[in-house]
Amino acid sequence: MISAAAFVGCGSKPASDAGVVHLKVWSMWSGDEEKGFEAVLAKYHEEHPNVVIDNLGAVTDEKSIRAIIAGAPPDIFTIIDPTSLSTLAANNALEPLDTRFADAGFHDVDFTPGSLGQCRYKGKLFGMPYLLDCVTLMYNKDVFVQAGLDPNKPPRTFEELEADCRKITKRDSDGKLTRIGIHPIDVSPAVIISMFDGKFLDGDRVTADYPNNIEALNAYMRLMNDQGGYPAVQSFASGFGANTGQFNPFFHGDVGMLVSGEWNPYWAYKYSPNCHFGVAPLPYPTNHPDRAGSVWLADNIFCIPRGAKHAREAWEFLAWTQTPEAQQLFASTLHNVPNIRVELHDRKLTDDPPFVPKNPGDRDPNSWRPAYGQFLALADSPTATYFPSMPVANMYVNQLATAFDGVGFGSKKPEQALAAINGRVQKEMDKYR
Amino acid sequence: MIATNEPNAAALSRMRRSERRAMLMGLLFVSPWLIGFLIFTLYPVFASAYLSFTDYRVLAPPKWVGFSNYTDLIGDHDYFLPSLFDTIFMFLELPIALTIGLALALLLDQKLRGIAFYRTLFYLPSIVPVVSSAVLWMWVLNPEHGLMNAALHSLHIPGPAWLASPAWSKPAMIMMDLWGVGGGMVIYLAALQGVPTPLYEAAALDGANGWQKIWHVTIPQISPVIFFNMIMGVIGTFQYFTQTFIMTNGGPDNSTLFYAMYLYQNAFQYFRMGTACAMAWMLFIITLIATLVVFKSSARWVYYEGEAR
Repeated sequence: MISAAAFVGCGSKPASDAGVVHLKVWSMWSGDEEKGFEAVLAKYHEEHPNVVIDNLGAVTDEKSIRAIIAGAPPDIFTIIDPTSLSTLAANNALEPLDTRFADAGFHDVDFTPGSLGQCRYKGKLFGMPYLLDCVTLMYNKDVFVQAGLDPNKPPRTFEELEADCRKITKRDSDGKLTRIGIHPIDVSPAVIISMFDGKFLDGDRVTADYPNNIEALNAYMRLMNDQGGYPAVQSFASGFGANTGQFNPFFHGDVGMLVSGEWNPYWAYKYSPNCHFGVAPLPYPTNHPDRAGSVWLADNIFCIPRGAKHAREAWEFLAWTQTPEAQQLFASTLHNVPNIRVELHDRKLTDDPPFVPKNPGDRDPNSWRPAYGQFLALADSPTATYFPSMPVANMYVNQLATAFDGVGFGSKKPEQALAAINGRVQKEMDKYR
Repeated sequence: MIATNEPNAAALSRMRRSERRAMLMGLLFVSPWLIGFLIFTLYPVFASAYLSFTDYRVLAPPKWVGFSNYTDLIGDHDYFLPSLFDTIFMFLELPIALTIGLALALLLDQKLRGIAFYRTLFYLPSIVPVVSSAVLWMWVLNPEHGLMNAALHSLHIPGPAWLASPAWSKPAMIMMDLWGVGGGMVIYLAALQGVPTPLYEAAALDGANGWQKIWHVTIPQISPVIFFNMIMGVIGTFQYFTQTFIMTNGGPDNSTLFYAMYLYQNAFQYFRMGTACAMAWMLFIITLIATLVVFKSSARWVYYEGEAR
């Protein structure tokens, strides 16, 4: 009895809070990124004193989903893996936002292409982006010079990428790999397929074995063979440190190229200031020239769960995050790409103003911005792609990775491996009809 | 008779009342555990049995689908059956761990100076949490910078890619687990100390050599403990999970996608909770059968003191 009374007591807010709305936000960020997000929240509170936002950091998608099931969701939560949005939307777990979007006077054309598409499921809007990731090719200029390549000529086509990888790949006297052309792990099957104008879905039909997808898989295996074969490359890559810090093999020159995002210029500045690298669009196959200039996009998505206590105030916050000031504020600490188009060309974000060191050895604190700006410019590409909205995307992506792995180790044939995915994923898809 | 019976009956009913009281008190005192057991163990067990017959995607209410989760799994030659066979492969570890554990226990049963130090040394790895030892062994087995391949290299043996190779990933995990064989070893060691010395003396009088003493005295005497370790090994192997979750996430080429790992993927990555529940129940039945087989066989080789044979 006593403990029950104590539980009830916990739920109510102090009376002095009258008129102030407490918004519960669950976000994915931790560490420095969390501090950046909290600065955004502080700014919002400053402009909207009647709203206090309580942030819980480092929340995983699973935790949010569990809270929704348990009927105790926050008012807003972030989705780490954009493909989870469809799963949640298909299960009726998210508040639809189309009316609010229209009432707020937003227009699709003002958004970075692709940023809203990832927030829609079956044409309806279920989330709002707040910055996004733009994944493309980075190349280490020092490695290019060592391999006898022009440090100002990144590969434009897939064929050039292959040739460059062959030149960069190096072995020791025992024949063991000591350097490879491109980091094999971050080049996800979905990105490779997008480079070949592949197709994941045709309406509600799963098209894993679409001819271009098979072409992409074969090309990827060729690319691995250019560097000593899939098993050897995997073995070599298993010695790599994480990409998220000072042990990134790309910064160290163990790999010549990396398919990664806009956060790298700042990290390179912070962890490997002596690394010289360039940024380029994803290489396109010569038989698909229309894929020139493409990149891969992935949003940071904010959703309002069904049953949120303060849906209106939650939306007001999300609408505010779309203002140029809010975009600039968060982009300057998170170093992600703004999802409002005009901000892609905001020179405050991308310029390196003249720098006069006060003491010898002082570093220009903005020297990483021009490279970051290249990612921002590329994000505006009309050929930018992202994984289509579908309720079983997570399974689809995993199965693609397994198929690529199976073909790489020789246990599966490309056509069969991809065709087998169709049946499995389609069966799960059909449950959502 | 009747006169004496009456107070007896009264005493009995009084007793019953106090017994009932004692029982209620007892229940009250165990109720924290009892309620926990009912809510967090018994209820989920029954719920999972029901859910295994449904299509349950967590966010939407379960829909009854009959046996289709079970039939789909049995017909799945790409994931489910390989995951079961990969798990069965890990049973190779059982006899190896048993032999090494027993051999170490026999060696450490000697009356030597500083034996406590050696016992500690061999037992130590088994108290390292599985997660820590898995992370540690990821680096020991790293094909590029690992200790293992550095050692092999100095012997001019080209080391395999271990966890990055579909052929070597399972042997690598078995090897790693053997590092923690000390847990079983300690149990053998305790059992060895319980073997009566007169049996060894009698065997010696009959002219038995060291090997014969082990084979005809030691092993029969400690067979209940071998049996115990075997049962625990069978159950543990079917539930093999942590190592692959930490080290390989099922790869390379699904070579370490063990049963429990695939169950986890279905439940928490694909939200196919109905399928996952069906897998859990099939695992329960498979484990039950395997354990029963070991139990049945035990009549032939396990010796219990005082048992008529």
